[in-house]
Amino acid sequence: MKPIRRVLAEPGTPHGRLALAGLLGLASAAATIGLLAGSGYVIGRAALRPGLDALVGILAAVEVVAFLRGPLRYAERLVGHDATLRGLARWRVWLYDCLTPRVPAALAGWRSGDLLSRAIDDVETLQDLYLRTLLPMGIAVGAAGLGLVVVGLILPWAALALGLPLVVACLVPPLIAIAGGRHDQAAELTGALSAHVVDAIHGAPDLLAFGADGAMLDRVSALSDQVNELERRQAKRIAQATVLVQLCLGAALVAVLATAVSAVHGHHLDPVMVAVLPLTVLATFEPIPSILQAATRAQAVQAAARRLFDLSAVPEPVRDAVTTQTFPGGVPAVTFAQASLRYGPDLPLALRDIDLRLEPGARIAVTGSSGAGKSSLINALLRFWPLESGSLEVGGTSVDLLRQADVRASAALVDQRAQLFAGTLRSNITLGRPDATDDEIEHAIAAAQLGDWVAALPAGLDTQVGDNGVSVSGGERRRVAVARALLAGGSILVLDEPTSGLDTPLADQLIDDVLAAAGERSVLLITHRAAEAQRCPTVVALRDGRVV
Amino acid sequence: MTTSRPARPRLVQPELAARVPALRYATAIVLGLGAITAVAIVVQAVALADLVDRSLLHHDSLNTVRPELIVLGGTVVARAVLTYVGEWVATRTAASVVTVLRRQLVAHALALGPQWLAGERPGELSLTATRGLHSLHAYFQRYLPQAAMAAVVPIMLLAWVATQDWLSLLVALALVAAIPVTMIYFGREATKRTERQWRRLGSLAGRFLQLIEGLPTLRAFGREEQGRREVMASTESVRVATMRTLRVAFLSALSMDLIAGFGVGFVAMVLGLRLLWGELSLQTAMAVLLVAPEIFIPLRRAGAEFHASTEGQAAADRVLEVLSLPAPSSQSSAMTATGGPPARRAAALRISQLHVEYADRSTAALAGFSLDVPAGTRVALVGPSGSGKSTVLAAVLGFVNPTSGTMRVDGVAASDMALADWRSQFSWLPQRPYLFTASLAENVRLGHGTASAAALDDIIDAVGLRELVSHLPQGVDTLLGPDGLTLSAGERQRVALARALLRPAPILLLDEPTSSLDPDTAAQVAEAIEPWLAERTVVVAAHEPVLLHGFDAVVQVAASAVAPS
Repeated sequence: MKPIRRVLAEPGTPHGRLALAGLLGLASAAATIGLLAGSGYVIGRAALRPGLDALVGILAAVEVVAFLRGPLRYAERLVGHDATLRGLARWRVWLYDCLTPRVPAALAGWRSGDLLSRAIDDVETLQDLYLRTLLPMGIAVGAAGLGLVVVGLILPWAALALGLPLVVACLVPPLIAIAGGRHDQAAELTGALSAHVVDAIHGAPDLLAFGADGAMLDRVSALSDQVNELERRQAKRIAQATVLVQLCLGAALVAVLATAVSAVHGHHLDPVMVAVLPLTVLATFEPIPSILQAATRAQAVQAAARRLFDLSAVPEPVRDAVTTQTFPGGVPAVTFAQASLRYGPDLPLALRDIDLRLEPGARIAVTGSSGAGKSSLINALLRFWPLESGSLEVGGTSVDLLRQADVRASAALVDQRAQLFAGTLRSNITLGRPDATDDEIEHAIAAAQLGDWVAALPAGLDTQVGDNGVSVSGGERRRVAVARALLAGGSILVLDEPTSGLDTPLADQLIDDVLAAAGERSVLLITHRAAEAQRCPTVVALRDGRVV
Repeated sequence: MTTSRPARPRLVQPELAARVPALRYATAIVLGLGAITAVAIVVQAVALADLVDRSLLHHDSLNTVRPELIVLGGTVVARAVLTYVGEWVATRTAASVVTVLRRQLVAHALALGPQWLAGERPGELSLTATRGLHSLHAYFQRYLPQAAMAAVVPIMLLAWVATQDWLSLLVALALVAAIPVTMIYFGREATKRTERQWRRLGSLAGRFLQLIEGLPTLRAFGREEQGRREVMASTESVRVATMRTLRVAFLSALSMDLIAGFGVGFVAMVLGLRLLWGELSLQTAMAVLLVAPEIFIPLRRAGAEFHASTEGQAAADRVLEVLSLPAPSSQSSAMTATGGPPARRAAALRISQLHVEYADRSTAALAGFSLDVPAGTRVALVGPSGSGKSTVLAAVLGFVNPTSGTMRVDGVAASDMALADWRSQFSWLPQRPYLFTASLAENVRLGHGTASAAALDDIIDAVGLRELVSHLPQGVDTLLGPDGLTLSAGERQRVALARALLRPAPILLLDEPTSSLDPDTAAQVAEAIEPWLAERTVVVAAHEPVLLHGFDAVVQVAASAVAPS
């Protein structure tokens, strides 16, 4: 359970709230024991006809615990969920902090889309550690201890008769439930099934046109059967574990009753307790089945925690030097000299002996097919990944001696996705320079040829974009990214496939506009389209990480 | 995501049972098991009460109560066996229902065809087919058995209580009757609030994903700190909003707990007082007391598992909705595709007076379009975007149903053939080819699974993918897709071209075959694929005649009016 212990040891775990929720849950379990044991006492005592006075006190007590049980449980649920959500908040920030120094380059090999959604799912799964693992286990074990004490106070031998089946019920069924539980295999199969279903639905035209629909359907069915088979085996183990809990309860009931009957027969025990003991046993066992679900959840939590910690174990590729130099002003020249870059010791060089000089105000296009090293050039320039050998100088100073933040501030990126964030159009454009004046914003918008579009929006710059905002077409989104880059103030404009997904006329127009707006800035245009590269006076072709 | 459904508990939708006959038996079996369980509960309670009576009032020895202890132990074992059988039936049912529905859904979606799919959100549909249907396991394994217990056990136990003590019956009945009332009240209140909240929660959760996805951008602009603050702020709003919802949502569980608590407490009081006044025997009182909590336990559990059922039910509803759509009759034969594609040979394609209308457009996409492509010729369909070039190809491939007009290959009309057989005469390069999560080789072999390794090699050379493949560690067996290799648009187009050429169909339909290739590459490819076009009929749709030289005809396509050149 090492990853789980590590999760709990992380600062910010809401220990206090969890403990409170546990206590409330235990109090609710105690109320259940009190209710059933008390009811048994009422019946047993009444059978001896002691008169109403002798019963009033215990009757009132029974009604009080009957009432208390629900509200205690309600309070436990609320406090437990609150603690869980606070823990979730903590882990979301943890994931953000973990990813920040490592994206995009350090995690590129992990297939970003999949990695992100899995990491986010894993953080969600961690919630279960508090709510569906620790709390139910703690409460069930606490209630078991409480029941044992109550029975032991009534009749010590009965505690032994209850204790043995109770310990078995707490320990063995969870082990059965998690035995052979191979989460990785299940996840892999489910993933394969999803991929094929997505293929079948998104690729329907291709499948139908090529007569391959039947084969795909058979593959989906076969995978579905395999997933079901895993599910069936898991359900079978849970059923076996549940049955074992029931049998333990039966054993405890019979053993405690036998002990009690003998004790009454031998006049060692108040006969009324014969009615109290079986009901106490029933109440003690009530929370035990929840341990089963908790055990299976614990497995999932552990797998999720392990994956997250693996993520944080990926070394940060770039760290600032201890002593850094201040950054020169103006438009700096960028010089790659014999620069090589590699993402891992076993991986081929992504850049090999690159010699490239971007003079202040120069415009250079870099072309090449995927894998030729285009994005590696950006990763090196923006200090997302260090060089293995050779040098990279910005403004005549080696980047190793500059602060990462300064190097990035000297550049302005128009990224391939032209990512928009939820918020206003203004906040998206001023991302790199939140204190920009209205004039400066106007200027950037005009330079990106967005003026007419913004003017046509009813709310103008205050229009909400992103998930719940207006839909922004691919062309407009890229122009927003261009305006953002122009406004950011960096003097090296880095355009990473700025036109991917745009039709040819739109793409050409955009490139012309950007080059015109760049002014004194240097421009590094990364593109796989030869026609687009021709618009820059210098074209550098990359192949296999080399300049050709 | 499913909370907007009215919370109407029901065991199994009749439409579902109609599709999966096993479901009817399963329901009958779990109901039967519930009835036997109720009997076991009563037998167990009576045996235990008898034993308490003998010991408490008569101080009997262990030996004399041995029969009761044996009966008690026997009922425990019986109940355990019933639980196991119930779980077994539930698991079996879940597996068969999920498999049947998943296959039917995907098959029906394919039968409904690309035109229908284009109007749906494909992401939502795949999610229903995977995660949605997967949650049916929870429905059948957790909710259904508990719901069946809740439907049978309380009524039978109440009936037994009625034979023992009418006052206890009244107390229990009053509390059981309170359940639907409180459930309806809290249920409605909670549904109203949660619906509002879920929408907000959804967008807040999306915010986190977006910030994580946008991290490279934030880093490039030096705005990591701002993103971090937003993560904290949005997560905090999620917590506050969720807690507000939960305070209401948990009220129904609270009312259930209160009812169950008082169910035991009040019954104990009534029984105690009646015992005190000598109106009941200890044996009866004890048995009723033991049965009382068992009346409420199945109701509480079914209530607790109800949320587990909603997602699966919503998924089942969605599947049934899709399955109820009539598939175009001509498409229903798509599943009967047999044998490989026919041998490569030229065939003549003749289209006459084709009318195509889309439901969401006022003007016809094609009005009286005619085209004559003699066997072995090459025809270019040219025209600006939106003029209907792709619509012609979609109609030929049977993706859209023309309102009128005929299409013939070598004189045989499309309407006289099974759709799968009709389609087998064509190979197609779509504008946006889809590459499957499979190896590069499997993707190229899509339309010709038995193509030899040599043919595969040849076609990879011809479309200019050799250099790419030679750099792949596993060559043509490299996996494509989200977990594998990501290709550029140009590379995708070449893979799709290879796929189209490899399929030995007589007529090739190429839609914008060079849109992602630069002119030099396009020229090279055109040269290299020439041997693959021999003896075939080729139709190229593009804004200008591309890829090939020596078109036998260039046909101008214009919306609603067609002028053959």
